[in-house]
Amino acid sequence: MDSSQLPRRIIKETQRLLSEPVPGISAAPSEDNLRYFNVIILGPDSSPYQGGVFKLELFLPEDYPMAAPKVRFLTKIYHPNVDKLGRICLDILKDKWSPALQIRTVLLSIQALMSAPNPDDPLDENIARQWKTNEVEAMNTARQWTELYAHQA
Amino acid sequence: MQGSGVVVVPRNFRLLEELEKGEKGIGDGTVSYGMDSDDLMMRNWTGTIIGPPNTVHDGRIYTLKIYCDEQYPNKPPQVRFQSRVQLSCVAPNGVVDARTFHILGRWNRTYTMETVLTELRREMAAPHNRKLPQPPEGSNY
Repeated sequence: MDSSQLPRRIIKETQRLLSEPVPGISAAPSEDNLRYFNVIILGPDSSPYQGGVFKLELFLPEDYPMAAPKVRFLTKIYHPNVDKLGRICLDILKDKWSPALQIRTVLLSIQALMSAPNPDDPLDENIARQWKTNEVEAMNTARQWTELYAHQA
Repeated sequence: MQGSGVVVVPRNFRLLEELEKGEKGIGDGTVSYGMDSDDLMMRNWTGTIIGPPNTVHDGRIYTLKIYCDEQYPNKPPQVRFQSRVQLSCVAPNGVVDARTFHILGRWNRTYTMETVLTELRREMAAPHNRKLPQPPEGSNY
């Protein structure tokens, strides 16, 4: 895809993501589709995901930035706001999206969601129940999953 | 790889769209599909076709296995009937033959699992298929 066909807004966002990356986050467009990003978010410190390397994929639909980016985890993660297919329950990806937000803000919000899970607005009911009834145990499971799935070379 | 200015939805997001559409239900419900397991790569699906009226398939419920590999939707899925059926485009083992089923044979990236199921249902009602003798209802391969 010739980048001259890409909206200027996407080109600028991409350039900034590459030149001034957010700490703990990398996002790079794929060679054959400049709207499709390979994303890595490092598990935030003092969260059960600390030390993990989490892969995600992000796609800018045709009507971006009027519509939110689409994003999901490719690494399995034990988190009440992420379902088994890696889909993320986050208001700014849905009804709270605004064209003033960017890829950068979306990824920062996901990083923040990893630090502060929100079991009151769950996507995975079982994990949310565990989070609310036995947070210590839930954090332990999240740590185990991080070891198991987010440590591949 | 991409035409001028065309936005190409990558495989996984395309399959997520299809999943959500399938969960909401399609049209009058004569075809439907869903994902088999919680595989992150969304490869294995089960489709259902309710046989069209005024044919030997009337009222029969056919289930099919659909496999979407890494190349989907640039390449067609692999489609196989689980319920036994007699159709000109279905091999004796239940596999839908891309050489005779043009939706697979002349695949286009805009086609979906819904397209495949809808067109197979249309095939059932085609003059060369609508009266073919059928295996006992409810039998599987």
